[in-house]
Amino acid sequence: MHLSRQKFPFFYTLNPEWLFRIASEMGAKVVDNKMMLMPTDLAEGMGVFLEVMPGLSVFLIDMSFKKPVAIDRVPQDDQFIAYYDLGEEITTHVLGTTPHRAGYSSRLGMAFMDSCIPTSLLPPINARSYSLRLIISKDLLKSLARPNYPNSVTEQLFDSSQNTLYFYSHIDSRSKILLNQLKSRKIKDGSFEFHLKHTALYLLAYLIERAANFEPIINRVTDREGSAIKQSADYIMANLDKDFVGISLLAEMAGMSVSKYKLLFKKILKSTPKQFYINERLLLAQKLLQSPQFDSLSQVAYELGYNSPRYFINSYVNKFNTYPVLKNSK
Amino acid sequence: MKNISYRYGVNLDWLDELAAAFNCEVENGHVYCSNDTITGTLYGLQINEELSVFIQDAVYHTDVFYKMSNNDDDFVGVYFNLSEGDTVQITDNMQKAVGRWAYNVAVIDSVLSADYLIGSGSNVFSISIFIKKTAFLRSISSIPNFQEIRDVIFDADRNTLVRFERASNQAWFLMSELRKVNFGSTLYDTYLVGTVYGLIADYLDQIIDHDIVLGRVYQEDIVSIVSSQSQLIEKLKQPFPSIKVLASSVNMSDSKYKNLFKKVTGTSAKAFFMANKLDAAKEMLDTGSYSIAEVAHHFSFYDPSHFIEQFKARYDVTPKEYVTLY
Repeated sequence: MHLSRQKFPFFYTLNPEWLFRIASEMGAKVVDNKMMLMPTDLAEGMGVFLEVMPGLSVFLIDMSFKKPVAIDRVPQDDQFIAYYDLGEEITTHVLGTTPHRAGYSSRLGMAFMDSCIPTSLLPPINARSYSLRLIISKDLLKSLARPNYPNSVTEQLFDSSQNTLYFYSHIDSRSKILLNQLKSRKIKDGSFEFHLKHTALYLLAYLIERAANFEPIINRVTDREGSAIKQSADYIMANLDKDFVGISLLAEMAGMSVSKYKLLFKKILKSTPKQFYINERLLLAQKLLQSPQFDSLSQVAYELGYNSPRYFINSYVNKFNTYPVLKNSK
Repeated sequence: MKNISYRYGVNLDWLDELAAAFNCEVENGHVYCSNDTITGTLYGLQINEELSVFIQDAVYHTDVFYKMSNNDDDFVGVYFNLSEGDTVQITDNMQKAVGRWAYNVAVIDSVLSADYLIGSGSNVFSISIFIKKTAFLRSISSIPNFQEIRDVIFDADRNTLVRFERASNQAWFLMSELRKVNFGSTLYDTYLVGTVYGLIADYLDQIIDHDIVLGRVYQEDIVSIVSSQSQLIEKLKQPFPSIKVLASSVNMSDSKYKNLFKKVTGTSAKAFFMANKLDAAKEMLDTGSYSIAEVAHHFSFYDPSHFIEQFKARYDVTPKEYVTLY
C-alpha cells in the first residue's frame, strides 16, 4: 500500500503566531501561548515554544506520530534555524547472518541553516521524536558573531545575496550534556520553562563559539545544492565499511563539477569529503569497540575495511590521542 | 571600615548610586573599580520588565558594611554567593556566615532591610537576581503543592519572605561555568541570562523536591552537616570515607547523620560526594592534559571502568565521547 503523507507547510515567527497557525492546521491545542498539545489521532505528546529574549525563540518537540506526516518549513528570509535531534546518533545493526557483513547507518544530529533553505521533517511513526530548534533573528546572530571575524568578512558572511550560512554536524559534547539533562526532565514540571530558556541560551553561546572556529567560506547555496550535499554525506556515512569512493564519483552523484562539489562540501560539512570519511570511520570504530561482537582490534579494522590493523591503530591514535581498546574483550 | 547605604530594584537605576558610593565609573551597566576599597567589576543587566541580575566579581581591600534599604517593595531578591574569605552577613541582629559551604543562597523580600559586612581580603563572586513578586508567584503557581509552598516561604504573620539556604550542586556548576566566561566577551550577556534562568529553574526544583523540609531542621544540625560537606569536598581525591567516620566527626549516630544529611542537602552523603568528584574529574578532563585512566586514578576510582560507568550515569556520555567531541 502506498503511504501518503499528510503535509503541513509552515514557517517560524519569533512570537507565537506561527504556533497558532500550525496548531490549527494539525488540530492541536495551544495552551498559555506556548504549549502545543497534539490531537491523539495524529500524535502522542506535545511541543513547547518560548520567546527567550529579543531575537531568540526556542521550540522543543517531544511526541510520537501515529500517521505519516511531512512538516515542511517553507523558505523565509529573516532568521537562522539551529536544529538538534536527540535520537540515537549512530545505529549499528548486523545484516543477514554473515558475521562480517554489517550495515551501519549514522546520522548527524545537528543542523544550522539560513531560513531561506526549506526543510522537510518526516518524523518516524510510533517512535519518540525529541528535538529542539533555536529560531534566531539574523540581527541577533550578526551582532553576537561579529567580533569573531574581521569586519569585511562579517559583512560578506551575513550578506544573503553573497552567502548562505549552512552546516551539518554532530552535536558537540557540551551541547549534548545540556540536551540530555533537558531530556531527562518532565515538560509538565514547574521549572521546565526556565530549564528550557537556560538550555536555549547556552546552546546559542556554544554554537557561536564553535562556529568561530570554522573557516568562513563565502558562497550562496540553493536548497537543491544543499540537499545534494547532505545526501552525499549520508551516502558516505552509509558506506563507511567500504573504500572511499572518490571525489569524482561523489561529485557526479551530486550533479556538480568536482570543484563546486569540493567547495560546497567543505562549506556545509566543515571538512573535505575524504577527511569527513576518515573522521566518521574512526567515530564508528569508537562505537564498534564498545560492541560485544568483536574479539580483536584486527576484526574491527577489517570490519571497517582497513587493509592493515596497524594503519587503523595509527589513525585512531592520531585522532583521539589514545589507543583503541576493546571494551568487552574476553 | 567603609559604610555604604544602598538599595536594589528590578529597575537598575540604583546602579549609578552604588557606583558613586565606591567612586567608580559606570559604562553600559558595567561598574569598573580599581581603588583602595575594591578591585573588580560589578555589572547589572535588566533581562525583562520583571527580571534583572546584578553580578559582582571583586576583591575587597577594606571592610565594607552594607546597609540595604529598598524603596521598591514589589520584588524579591535571590542572592547566590560564591565568596571566599572573611564574609559575614548580618540580618535582623542575627549573624549568619556566608561562605562557600555555609549559607550561600538567600531569598529576601524587598520590604526587609538586610545589613551585612564584607571583610577586607574577601574575594567576592555573587549573583543577585531581582524578580517581581507577581512574576515569582506566577512561576511557582504551576507547582502542584503551590498553596502549601506559598504558606511556608511567605511567613504568614508578616507576609514577608526570608530564606537562607545552600546552593545545590547544579547551582555551583552553573556559577562556575559562568565564571569561566570573560566579562568582555560579546557572549557574556547570553551566558549570564542563561545562567540566571538555570539558577531559577534549579531553585524551583529545590522547592519542589525537598527544601520544604528545611524549616523543621535545627540550626546547629545544619552547621554540622555543612561542615561535613566541606570535609567531603576537601577529600574528593580519596575514596569515600565511611558513614561511621563522617558521623563520628560531627558527633552523631550513623542513622541520625544519614537522615539529616538527606534532609538538609536532598541527597545521600555518598551521592553528594560522587557528584562533586565527577564534576571535578570533568574539569580535569577539560584541561586536555590527562588521560581517562589518569583522571580515574587521580580521583581514586576503583578502576577506569568504574569511572566511565559513573561518568556516563551522571552526564549521559562516556568520558571518551566527552573528550573527543569536545
